[in-house]
Amino acid sequence: MSFFRIQLQRSAIGLPKRTRGVLMALGLRKRSQTVFHPVEAQFAGMILKVKELVSVQEVDRALDSKELRAERSPEPGFFIEKAVPR
Amino acid sequence: MFGAFRATNALSGGLLWKTPWRLSKFQKARQRERLRGVDAVVATLDKALAKKGETLKALEVWKDTMPTEAEMLPKDKYTMFDRKEKRYRKGIHKLPKWTRVSQRLNPPGY
Repeated sequence: MSFFRIQLQRSAIGLPKRTRGVLMALGLRKRSQTVFHPVEAQFAGMILKVKELVSVQEVDRALDSKELRAERSPEPGFFIEKAVPR
Repeated sequence: MFGAFRATNALSGGLLWKTPWRLSKFQKARQRERLRGVDAVVATLDKALAKKGETLKALEVWKDTMPTEAEMLPKDKYTMFDRKEKRYRKGIHKLPKWTRVSQRLNPPGY
């Protein structure tokens, strides 16, 4: 089962209520928030309503918030060769 | 005529905002980027639904009627029809919220 990975790029401030309602329905509340929805005509139609505001990818599975956070965090800059016993 | 008390538009009228009549090359570049972004979203939706064998009428209508960024004429990318304007064209940046709405089609012949 594949998913749409949707990220809000542009804010909907000052746009019609219908547009903001669609974003609420998609679960997008603030910019650069990411949500996942299954690939269905229903969700495609909602994305089409806000296509100027979002970026969309098709992915194989939905990531949870921990995985999304891990994706954002940078490399630690070091690695442990051998753990010292304490 | 000259000096500190000259009668300019800004001094005699108070607040004066000037909107340039055309876009700068950087605004035009960003406008093209936004158009391509919308094209990319539509292409992603189309590909994903085609894989599942589903169709969406709104998507079909968009693909039939709307030109992609590459197919659009520069005239339509940066200007839009306006019946009140001289030569019936004004800069697209006069459209409210122009960076967040789609405005691709103009009446044929204008």
